Amino acid sequence: MTDKVESKYSKRSSRWKLILLLLIVALVVAIIFCLNIGFAPISFSDILTILGKQIPILNRSINSSAVSTVNETIILQIRLPRVLAGALVGAGLAAAGVMYQGVFRNPMADSYLLGASAGASFGYTLAAIYAGSLALNFFGFGIFQIVAFVGAVLTVFLVYFMSRVGNKVPIATLLLSGIVVNIFILALQTVFELRSGKALIGIVAWIAGGFTNITWTNIYAVFPFVLIGTVLAYFFTKDLNMLAMGDDTAQHLGVNTERVRQIMLLTGSLITGAVVSISGVIGFVGLIIPHMTRLVIGPDHRILLPTSAIVGGIFLMLCDSLARIATGASELPVGVITALAGTPFFIYLLRKRKTIYSL
Amino acid sequence: MNMVLLSVDGVECRYGSVKILENVSLSVKEGDFVGILGPNGSGKTTLLKSISRTLKPYKGTILLDKTDIYSMKSVDLAKHMAIVPQESNIGFGFAALDIVLMGRNPHMKRFQMESEKDMAIVRKAMNRTNTWYLADRPINELSGGEKQRVVIARALAQEPKVLLLDEPLTHLDMINQLEIMDLVKGLCHTERLIVLTVIHDLNLAARYCNSALLLKDRKVFAVGTLDEVLTSKNIKSVFQVDAIVKKSLVTNSLYVIPLSPQKPSLARKCAIHIICGAGTGTLIMKALVDEGYEVTAGVLNMLDTDYESAELLKIPTVNEAPFSPITEQTKRANLEMINKAAMLVITSVPFGYGNLPNLETSLEAVKRGVRTYVIDEVPIEVRDFTGGKATALMAELRKHGAIFIKHPSELPTLVNATHDLMELRKHAQTEIPGHLKNEPKAITEPTGRKEPR
Repeated sequence: MTDKVESKYSKRSSRWKLILLLLIVALVVAIIFCLNIGFAPISFSDILTILGKQIPILNRSINSSAVSTVNETIILQIRLPRVLAGALVGAGLAAAGVMYQGVFRNPMADSYLLGASAGASFGYTLAAIYAGSLALNFFGFGIFQIVAFVGAVLTVFLVYFMSRVGNKVPIATLLLSGIVVNIFILALQTVFELRSGKALIGIVAWIAGGFTNITWTNIYAVFPFVLIGTVLAYFFTKDLNMLAMGDDTAQHLGVNTERVRQIMLLTGSLITGAVVSISGVIGFVGLIIPHMTRLVIGPDHRILLPTSAIVGGIFLMLCDSLARIATGASELPVGVITALAGTPFFIYLLRKRKTIYSL
Repeated sequence: MNMVLLSVDGVECRYGSVKILENVSLSVKEGDFVGILGPNGSGKTTLLKSISRTLKPYKGTILLDKTDIYSMKSVDLAKHMAIVPQESNIGFGFAALDIVLMGRNPHMKRFQMESEKDMAIVRKAMNRTNTWYLADRPINELSGGEKQRVVIARALAQEPKVLLLDEPLTHLDMINQLEIMDLVKGLCHTERLIVLTVIHDLNLAARYCNSALLLKDRKVFAVGTLDEVLTSKNIKSVFQVDAIVKKSLVTNSLYVIPLSPQKPSLARKCAIHIICGAGTGTLIMKALVDEGYEVTAGVLNMLDTDYESAELLKIPTVNEAPFSPITEQTKRANLEMINKAAMLVITSVPFGYGNLPNLETSLEAVKRGVRTYVIDEVPIEVRDFTGGKATALMAELRKHGAIFIKHPSELPTLVNATHDLMELRKHAQTEIPGHLKNEPKAITEPTGRKEPR
């Protein structure tokens, strides 16, 4: 039995690579599947032809004469950015969720707990009221995105420095500060909304979250945050494993816990700020996807982080596609779909497990 | 020969402005197994925290091989020092092997997966701690002892020179406590580790550690070998507990028998003599001492259990040579001792020709009016090895007013009542009319206790 254990462990690295490979394949399949969804019927072969044409070298051997330019525009300019945005935002939220949960050893921690969503919403509200007409563009971010992003990141930093005691940041203080600041900012936001009396509908719709007005520039702007942030976090996944043993033990195993915490917080809030700025506040993904993934593949962050990111991407992408077609003319907010679709599955996983689940 | 040395020099720790450890110095070399002893709040865990770099001292230095540990990077210190925490806040769902593999972290680069060599070290550590068979079990499903062994395996996987344990035996049963201590002791010896452990169980400390640091009120009270540190005097001053410290012939180590915590003495100025033997008097002597009486005993043969108990309780005794019958001389000495006592207690000791004189002495005392209690737990016929002589003497005792009780537990209440009545009578002597004084039974005897004749 023990030799079996050892060989299982020595093969673990290749097993993890296989899991990631399969998930990436699933992601690509899901993208193509989602591109097919919409009012204009466009066949899979057309979709593949349009996509293939975009790939250098490969495009030489593809004959695209059968595909109409209208369909090409629908796929490349409307559906693809939206589908990719869903994948990016889902991946970003899930990866940030893994980081926050790992760093805080708290199953309730997610990318919004430290005030990212409240800060972003407040920023967006201020922009909508006072600067709605400003035509600013900064690396693909519009004025709304910039203000939301800054709001999210600033709030997380405010919460972090508020909770600092001497050289350390106690987890309980941090979470409590996060909750309090969340409530405070939401109250401020209500005051501003009521005083201004305008743009309310837009704000409410944005806060509910969604991908209605996604452009390629949004994708270009957010992609580096999600990619670089997740890769950076991957360097610290072993430290996250040891943090699960408690701060003291992690330190005794050679982890610089405070530094790891700062880096993870910074990375997580940058990712969250970036994705929230284009999607609005989408709940559930950052909290539940890491838990779901952990239930299936275990607690090791080295595999948990990348799988959560991909699963989160696929999940949000599919949910958004459902949102597009679910009720016909008027779209359902994607947050409604994520909760409705995700909860039953999560409960199923939770119940299937024999032992008590905790972080 | 390059000896690894851990030296703690003048360490003072504070929480805010409150001193929680003062001027602690200690030097430990490889192969040493040091027990850090002391009552709750004496600073044991604080000391361990400052040595493990969790709590930076306000003053003083901690050197490992002449390097200040607070100047080292945590990853470098982790290559030399491993800690087994009090209660492992264990990562949920990780397999035991995952946990032990984490011990290799300080020796690995950030992006490295575990190598063959790491795996071999981990396997060795787990074999050493007898946890390899648990390798793929989730840590949260293991028992307390198994978990603790896994955590020790993780510490070993760090290949440390120093092993710190913070109360490693809490929540463990007897066999697990012994196994863990055996294991650590063995590692200390074979791997030439420096081991420091905070430990509450003085007996286990005495049995396994080869030196000890005794803390009191955040300061070092005593340091040295167990023989030097673990004395009843030290235990009394540090823990406020009277304790008997003896060397066990079986384990060749000290063992500590704590007696009751010191009570504010009632100081009953009244002597009670006990006739006992073969262990029948030990609990009674202890109970009466606790009640504040001046207890004496005799005649006891040396090496008798009750003799040893009396020695430990510092009770004056009249003694006879081991396994020898009571001589006239000791019998007389005993009678003198009884005459100084206000009460006499005879336990359910078996009587043979050797100790029959004790009963004869008792009869004399009863006849002189000494208040006498006979504990008649075992019928005299059963424990009479004198062909009826002892039984006859017992009957005489009863006839002359000795009070027979069935169980030793009744004794303290009776003795206290008698004592209080005697006191009352003493104080009331001037006021009580003469004719009342001549009726001692009405005053001195607890009602309803006298055996019907």
